[in-house]
Amino acid sequence: MDAAFLIESAVKVLIVLGFVLLGVPLIVWMERKVIGHMQDRIGPQRVGPFGLLQTIADGIKLFFKEDIIPAQADRVVFILAPALSVITAFVALTVVPFGDTITVAGRTVYLHITDVNVAILWVLGTTSMGVYGIVLGGWASNSKYPLLGGLRSSAQMISYELAQGISLVSVILMTGTLSLASIVRQQEHMWFIVPQFFAFVIYILCGIAETNRAPFDLPEAETELVAGFHTEFSSMKFALYFLAEYANMMVVSAIAISVFFGGWRGPFLPPVVWFLIKLSLFLFFYVWLRATFPRLRYDQLMAFGWKVLLPASLLNLTVTAVVVALQNNP
Amino acid sequence: MQTSGMPLEAYQLVAALLFTIGLIGVLVRRSALIIFMSIELMLNAVNLSFVAFSKHHGQMDGQIFVFFVMSVAAAEVAVGLAILVAIFRNRETANVDDVHLLKG
Amino acid sequence: MTEAILFSLFSFSAVVFAFNVIFRKNPVHCALHLVGVLLSLSGMFVLLNAQFIAAIQILIYAGAIMVLFLFVVMLLNVRGEVPLLTPGAAKGFGFFFALIAFVEVLWVVVTHGGAEGTPQPPAPLPPGFGSPAEIGRILYTTWLFPFEVTSILLLIAVIGAVVLAKRKFA
Repeated sequence: MDAAFLIESAVKVLIVLGFVLLGVPLIVWMERKVIGHMQDRIGPQRVGPFGLLQTIADGIKLFFKEDIIPAQADRVVFILAPALSVITAFVALTVVPFGDTITVAGRTVYLHITDVNVAILWVLGTTSMGVYGIVLGGWASNSKYPLLGGLRSSAQMISYELAQGISLVSVILMTGTLSLASIVRQQEHMWFIVPQFFAFVIYILCGIAETNRAPFDLPEAETELVAGFHTEFSSMKFALYFLAEYANMMVVSAIAISVFFGGWRGPFLPPVVWFLIKLSLFLFFYVWLRATFPRLRYDQLMAFGWKVLLPASLLNLTVTAVVVALQNNP
Repeated sequence: MQTSGMPLEAYQLVAALLFTIGLIGVLVRRSALIIFMSIELMLNAVNLSFVAFSKHHGQMDGQIFVFFVMSVAAAEVAVGLAILVAIFRNRETANVDDVHLLKG
Repeated sequence: MTEAILFSLFSFSAVVFAFNVIFRKNPVHCALHLVGVLLSLSGMFVLLNAQFIAAIQILIYAGAIMVLFLFVVMLLNVRGEVPLLTPGAAKGFGFFFALIAFVEVLWVVVTHGGAEGTPQPPAPLPPGFGSPAEIGRILYTTWLFPFEVTSILLLIAVIGAVVLAKRKFA
């Protein structure tokens, strides 16, 4: 535990933090532009070149809004809930490998903040903790619509966590390790999307449901529940929830890339660039889904999670287990 | 991995402290939910004790036992809370002092 | 040295959160403090080379069981009870009994189990101690039977919870 290790870790943490804080405005801008063009309009175009500064302007606006806490609300929990959402989203990114290794001042630096041998469990655990931000936000508002929205949203999230975990277990059966860096290293010859296509489909659908994005975003739909669990939050707390949602999108995409799409692997460009390219493609896919599909009704959503995705992931797991067992003991 | 760490007694002391706090909660609070949470606290104290002993003896069996304790705790919480919900639906109270119909 | 600092930090936070669990009026606050205890214990598990157990503690205990608790607390909408503690002499008896239990456990720990236990130096840890691979290896060989029984137990718990919490449509 020497000083160089501490400095290296601190720098990596700051870089990832900066990356997320700068990336989220870019994602929001991309979303508004892409949805605009898909809806045959232009989207933000006046603030900065191509409307790039629009999100910054929105952030400044949110910062200057009045911070209202409802009179009967539970103050401590009200302030804590958005912070919990953001913390769990950021913490899940600590185990994602952004690139291979680089050499800085004679030290070999791995491009992940840390490489624990239970990395996938860590990510699943922190996304489970993300439920607290939502359910506590709904509860602390002391108001009908947020409470309903919060409970619905958290019930949705815990329903889809199971299928998400089991689909990842299918890949773990093949790799024999839970560490994300090792999983990326093992995809040298073939990305795991090829043998585990169904696991990927299940994982990405669960990921979209976990992050409460369309078409699974009924709990925060404006037309049904005012704004769901974040109705009563204004100014920076709302901005934090917003930030947490997009950071969660990045987490889901990053895990999908690392586990199924070879992480930072790619022919000519440096590894980090490949990772960013794949991340952008995934985020574009998220936005594309939002622009295209109508919302699922809540009972349809829950039925889909429990009656379709969970049995499908279990079936995938069984088939994978049989194949792996036959390969090891022919 | 480091060979010298905190002594085993330190971890056992913390586990004993947590267990006692849970015990106080079970004996002294009246709300069924809080009693449940205190029981969970006691189970966690025992988990800590198991894991500390497991490291002390260098055998993994303590951690396996913690695994089982967690599964059983999950099952117990599910069933216990279901019972609590059923009682609350009938009696509108979560106070264990009010659930005394079987008392002689 | 780092282990001592981290141990003190985690144990202090665990004990503070635990006191708050039993002495708060609002059940939601109690549940949140219990989550704090679970997270502190997870940190201590990492210090004890139990990485899998630490991750499972966050994933299952703090991430699923406590969410279930919170759901039930919000569903029942139980306000804090008045008075907070059990009334009368039973309160004193509760504290006294808990103190006796604590002194007993402390005695066992300090005397290393009396005549039978002898203080032994910590055994060296085999490589991969606490990793998922080791847990899997032991769980499915030595401890296979308890594992299967636990799965049946969980099935029973699921059925029981569904049956108990169903509304009877009379």
